[in-house]
Amino acid sequence: MGAAPVHRIEVTPRVLPGLQDTRGEGVRRQLAYDHGVEIESVRSITGYMVRAPLTGAQLFDSLRDLFTDPVIEHGVANQSLLDDDVMFAPPPEIAIQIGFKPGVTDNPAQAALGGLTTLYPDAGAAGDVATTMTYLFWGVPEDVEEKWLADQLHNPMIERAAIATRIHCRSAIWPELPFPDRPPIQFEEPAVVDLEVSDAELERISETGLLALNLAEMQAIQAQYRDLGVRALREEQGLPPEAPTDVELECLAQTWSEHCKHKTFAALIHHKDTETGEDSTIDSLFKTHIVQPTLDIAEEVDWLLSVFHDNSGVIAWNDDWSLCMKVETHNSPSALDPYGGAMTGIVGVNRDILGTGLGARPIANTDVFCFGPPDWSGHIPKGLFHPSRVMRGVHAGVRAGGNESGIPTVNGAMVFDERYLGKPLVYCGTVGIMPRRLADGRESHVKTPSPGDVIYMTGGKVGSDGIHGATFSSIELTEDSPSSAVQIGDPITQKKMVDMLVEARDAGIVQVTTDNGAGGLSSSVGELAELTGGATIDLSVVPLKQAGLSPWEILVSESQERMTIGVKPEDCAEFETLAELHEVEATAIGEFTDSGNFEVRYGDTVVALLPIEFLHDGLPQLELVSEWVPPEHESPNFPDVDAEGMGDVLASLMARPNVASKEWWVRSYDHEVIGQTVIKPFCGVNHDAPGDAAVIAPLHGDTRGAVISCGITPRYSDIDTYAMVAASVDEAVRNAVCVGVDLDMIAGLDNFCWPDAIVSEKTPDGKYKLAQLVRANRALEDVCRAYRLPCISGKDSMKNDVTFDGEKISVPPTLLYSLIGNHRDVRKAVSSDFKQAGDAIYLLGETHQELGASELACMLSESHGGGIGGQVPSIDAERNIGLYRALSAAMSTRLVASAHDCSDGGLATALAESCFGVDSGCTVDIERLFADDEGLDDWGALFGESLGRILVSVAPDDSEAFEAAMAGHACHHLGKVGEGDEIVFVNGGENLLRADLATLRDGWKATLDGGAP
Amino acid sequence: MVDTPRAAVLTGFGINCDVETMAVFEMAGAEAQRVHVNQLVSGADSLEDFHILAVPGGFSFGDHLGSGRLLGNRLRFAIREQVCDFVRSGKPVIGICNGFQVLVKMGLLPGDEEVSLSQTASLTLNDSGHYEDRWVTLEFNDASPCVWTDGLERMRVPVRHGEGKFVVPDAELLQRYFEQQQVVCRYVDPSTRYPSAADEPVPYPLCPNASMRNIAGVCDPTGLVFGLMPHPEANFTKWLGATWTREGDQSDWEGEGMAIFHNGVGYARNNL
Repeated sequence: MGAAPVHRIEVTPRVLPGLQDTRGEGVRRQLAYDHGVEIESVRSITGYMVRAPLTGAQLFDSLRDLFTDPVIEHGVANQSLLDDDVMFAPPPEIAIQIGFKPGVTDNPAQAALGGLTTLYPDAGAAGDVATTMTYLFWGVPEDVEEKWLADQLHNPMIERAAIATRIHCRSAIWPELPFPDRPPIQFEEPAVVDLEVSDAELERISETGLLALNLAEMQAIQAQYRDLGVRALREEQGLPPEAPTDVELECLAQTWSEHCKHKTFAALIHHKDTETGEDSTIDSLFKTHIVQPTLDIAEEVDWLLSVFHDNSGVIAWNDDWSLCMKVETHNSPSALDPYGGAMTGIVGVNRDILGTGLGARPIANTDVFCFGPPDWSGHIPKGLFHPSRVMRGVHAGVRAGGNESGIPTVNGAMVFDERYLGKPLVYCGTVGIMPRRLADGRESHVKTPSPGDVIYMTGGKVGSDGIHGATFSSIELTEDSPSSAVQIGDPITQKKMVDMLVEARDAGIVQVTTDNGAGGLSSSVGELAELTGGATIDLSVVPLKQAGLSPWEILVSESQERMTIGVKPEDCAEFETLAELHEVEATAIGEFTDSGNFEVRYGDTVVALLPIEFLHDGLPQLELVSEWVPPEHESPNFPDVDAEGMGDVLASLMARPNVASKEWWVRSYDHEVIGQTVIKPFCGVNHDAPGDAAVIAPLHGDTRGAVISCGITPRYSDIDTYAMVAASVDEAVRNAVCVGVDLDMIAGLDNFCWPDAIVSEKTPDGKYKLAQLVRANRALEDVCRAYRLPCISGKDSMKNDVTFDGEKISVPPTLLYSLIGNHRDVRKAVSSDFKQAGDAIYLLGETHQELGASELACMLSESHGGGIGGQVPSIDAERNIGLYRALSAAMSTRLVASAHDCSDGGLATALAESCFGVDSGCTVDIERLFADDEGLDDWGALFGESLGRILVSVAPDDSEAFEAAMAGHACHHLGKVGEGDEIVFVNGGENLLRADLATLRDGWKATLDGGAP
Repeated sequence: MVDTPRAAVLTGFGINCDVETMAVFEMAGAEAQRVHVNQLVSGADSLEDFHILAVPGGFSFGDHLGSGRLLGNRLRFAIREQVCDFVRSGKPVIGICNGFQVLVKMGLLPGDEEVSLSQTASLTLNDSGHYEDRWVTLEFNDASPCVWTDGLERMRVPVRHGEGKFVVPDAELLQRYFEQQQVVCRYVDPSTRYPSAADEPVPYPLCPNASMRNIAGVCDPTGLVFGLMPHPEANFTKWLGATWTREGDQSDWEGEGMAIFHNGVGYARNNL
């Protein structure tokens, strides 16, 4: 960077009447809420280290015009604010400065540099900026150590801390981090990797290189380089004929990773079932249970445009517009750096939408998280974060990613279980919209590349951050996991690129597009090359964040905010002009060919030459074994309680994190930017009752809408993953039905997160876990066929295990099922809140004695001993869909005032939530439920989680017509919406449960209040 | 008189409410166009060709260095004359949410007669310390010269911000803005009767950010430049309301927020 001096600028909020240091105050509150540590006062100083050739006058002016808000902040240059004994009197007891490690994305610094360039173009262009945040503490309890305090404020994986201890502060020695200069890196010429070695050595090469390839795969690569034709071609190109370069091996490892190739889902599985005696072979779970049902449904409907093969699934929403959706997981990065991992999760899935067809515009996000219990007081293996910190970090990451991108977060869920202590599950989904046809007549969901099209890389630059993400997520997480796999997103760089690429699409100058996610350029160009039959790129022209990156690193780096675009040579000038207007980096790095090879050059030297066919089809199929042995569980111990006691049970149940209100967390997502969100996350007179699904009307002023919902029920996996998947799919559909979805156009996305299911020393129970996967897939097929619900996209994450400190933690098998559907007229959408006193309340669907692995069973097993055993909810999909269709018809004639799905905690929690929406209680008689199932008891009736049930209310004048509309389906009249403050359940003359509405609401809101306000 | 006023809706750099803001101006009878800031800098477009300027909501430049600061600087330094000429020529300007932050940070609001672009107020972090999306009730000052809010009493609108606390640390200056009726709208408790706007703090979350004297929006001394933190464009139709499913017939679709855009477009139509 030369000899330009580093100017240090410090800025702090003025504390005046009516003005506080909100950042410091936030830290103070959070330490009190999360750790019970009460500190008197916390203040903050934002620091900018500016390395730029600025004159004294420029420095002074930039302090006023750029770095400081002159009305509410005080700033100084090249002196320490802490030496100002008026501003901070008395001096702080402890001061801790946090800054990023070298090479980590520092968004405020980049923004500051841009701002400086606006003021002083020359100085800015030659400059560099880094930011710090210094926290000052007064009134810290004696037993709080400085190091502990610093640990709460930063993540050592990506950040540095400089601590001024109590002793330092008494001597006025303040913390000062150095400028985060990256150590120079040495450019390495491509190396040759000799594969003519023993099997053990092959395995070692894979392991030490973080390639995540097994022996059979390494042998397949070895065999490829023994092929005489291959050798001759390589000799001709000046490549080592008999062995791969490191660039080639890395490229194959990325392309063949579990993350990219879904090896478990593609495997040949020998399945045994000890219950039924079944002994069979399944050739790919994916093809058998996911693709085939969708292809069969595609014969019956005309709206499936693009399924499975693109970055998201596309449906023809109407004649003019199509919708697409994709859901991804970002579990491993979120475990290491919750904030950055989650943010790159959401902005990454946004790029999947932008990379669909010729490019779709992202219009809605969904976020579903699985965490360890936020109040966990048990042991946490060294190296892992407390779940409350993971939760705060993940939430902040998707909040920043979604909000700053201007995409509303319309739907989501949070699930808690102690087995998510190791890897949290971070599901991020995005819905996109695109015109069915462009002005030039091309259909936007179809990519149209030709040989000769120029390959552009747009967006961010390439750095050493994000190397090995794809392979890293395909192996277990340990304390040795690399920090290079962790990144922070830059939503504004991406937002500019989205604006630009949507304009380029509409101008007809995009021929093909895909995102740079897992595997970086190796995957994005490698995959698109399959469409034309080849590609050639030159890594030496790729813009870098840091000079000296080696070719293989440039090829596989997953640096964020990048897309790969194909443009016809005659359109390149227009493409580059658009990029310039939006201030988006766009570099031509090569062209598509039909050579049959993916050729990678560095300048004039060919550093990789991979036949497209081998790259994409050379991977040998895994062969695996599964065996189903049903698990055994004890029953819960049910206490003996009266009606008030039952009310207390309900209150406790509603305060459990899985049921509790998530309002504090969800409100900090923008859920209505773009001006389209019709049914929001909250409804009811006080805007605090939970909605079941989102309804959006994406075309302003148009009443046609779309529904977005989800289902996730991992608890049932402990008894049977078949039930888990059936319940998840049914929950997603049921939620969508509650808001009035058009059941003739519903499509789903399956996202599996599983523990390692391949038998090995580390996973002795792999056969059982694989059998769980087989059963899960069978349920998915059965239910989707019955609901005529095609899966259009999905993803699997198959290694959700961590071993830290010798302890292994594996997630429970978890499917998130997301749904996107049509809504014919959003003015007929229905919300979950009861509307008026006097409205009739009905429970639709049959209630059975199904308390196995229910939220109640989990609670009782914790409080009263015993197990979670019992019957898990079973599914009668044909019966359910008949009922759902009848209800949809009733909604379309406006007969339904409210509809709310019964899920966690059963009927009792659903009723309480609908009551919150009208802010009054009711008395309901559930005597009729007992006719559904003679084995049903009070616990099962109140808290059982039978599927296919919806709690509805109907205006008194409509109840006759409603009952007629529901004829032939289970429809139990329970009572009417009341005016009092009590919820009462009776069975004929007998009181079963009595609870005060305010008490229920207070407990339900308190558990996850995040340290309100 | 112009039959169809042309509205420039600023876009780029993380502005993200440009599409719906364009839509509401069209619904109100204007011809709206999204204009990238750089098109004004390069001269490809000129503000001179428009009758209305809207700076929509968003996260321009990621809110880094304080919300609105960096985009405000682009306007203040890169196209200063264009902006000042536009304002001095008596054309209406509206800044919503991040757009309001931009206008305040660049000194156009509360502003002065000379259009000197000197910052006197600010929008800072909500006292709650976090971003949130929630619906609030605004009450309008019927004595304000603001052309955008003529005839309005109350309106339900969402706020979606983390830095919406309006502050004028200089108490005398703040008082002067009140005396000049530049305080256009304030957060009120919807259970009170109109008019009820007052200086005493309305409790959180009814006033979501602890703004001084519950201020939600202000105008310049002429009443032509108006900015507010809440999003009236987000309530352009009834089916986007927070509790619309409780409120019966939706056949008359127009939402409460449209009144502001009708006023702005109407002013341009009758006066330019």
